[in-house]
Amino acid sequence: MFSLIALVFALNGLHAQKYFTREGKISFHSSAVVENIEAHNTSATSVVDTETGNLEFAVLIKAFQFEKALMQEHFNENYLESDKFPKATFKGALVNKADVNFAKDGTYKAKVKGNMTLHGVTNPVATTAVFVVKSGVISTSSEFNIAVADYKIEIPSLVKDNIAKEVQVVVKADLQQLKS
Amino acid sequence: MKKILIITAVFILGAAGVGFYLSQKPVPSVNDLKTDFTVTATDLFAEYQANEEAANQKYNGKIVEVSGVVKETKNNEAGQPTVVLESGDPMFGVICELKEKEQASKFSNGQQVMLKGECTGYLMDVVLARCVEK
Repeated sequence: MFSLIALVFALNGLHAQKYFTREGKISFHSSAVVENIEAHNTSATSVVDTETGNLEFAVLIKAFQFEKALMQEHFNENYLESDKFPKATFKGALVNKADVNFAKDGTYKAKVKGNMTLHGVTNPVATTAVFVVKSGVISTSSEFNIAVADYKIEIPSLVKDNIAKEVQVVVKADLQQLKS
Repeated sequence: MKKILIITAVFILGAAGVGFYLSQKPVPSVNDLKTDFTVTATDLFAEYQANEEAANQKYNGKIVEVSGVVKETKNNEAGQPTVVLESGDPMFGVICELKEKEQASKFSNGQQVMLKGECTGYLMDVVLARCVEK
């Protein structure tokens, strides 16, 4: 991720088509019989290359905030093992780049496809996203589900009724062009 | 026999009470947690840049008191209030996400500050969460 960003900054003079944020919001929600689990992260980084349609997200696992201390502890220590796998990343691209005009203010529905790496496991992810272009800011939002088991996240049978098999992920980010 | 049953019942209720209390306990304020490291923003950033793996092992999940010069601040209205500290790097620094009650507006650019928070790692900047001013 860092090498891509370094390249992005190096090429800034030539291609002013890259948009970036380091305050992306990623939340996830799990509704289960016993309890609902919710966590929020407000320090995700994201880069969108409006020329190629490539986009990337990276997020620090330890930066997810929960309401309850025990949940945050279990999340980091037992489920995601964030000492071993401190980050989650998504690397992908717009499938329908022709339908999204980043140069013109407006709201665009996009199809996104890529790979998500979480807990050291990489899986393909395909989802839809909305891009709102206004006054030089690209706001993107997306919602999708991920199956906990796909990322080898082990939920002990004792708490299996506390955590849903599928977790809903919500992404919101406002990206701005890199300033030279 | 009855006495034993009553004592056992009280013990079980007590244990259940403690268990419930622990399960509902909110994430503690960093003020109540012991500081693991005191470091300058410049040094912290340099360590992550030099060897991310080693810095992860050393700092991730730990409570860090970081001192530095304020590069920029972002306020509540825009979302999560943050203070970015100078790291010596022209583009990246140490991001301190402030605890809700802390106001980003009380810090001004160029000010020397000491912030305490949990280190969560390094993306393009080093990110500390739940920060309070020391």
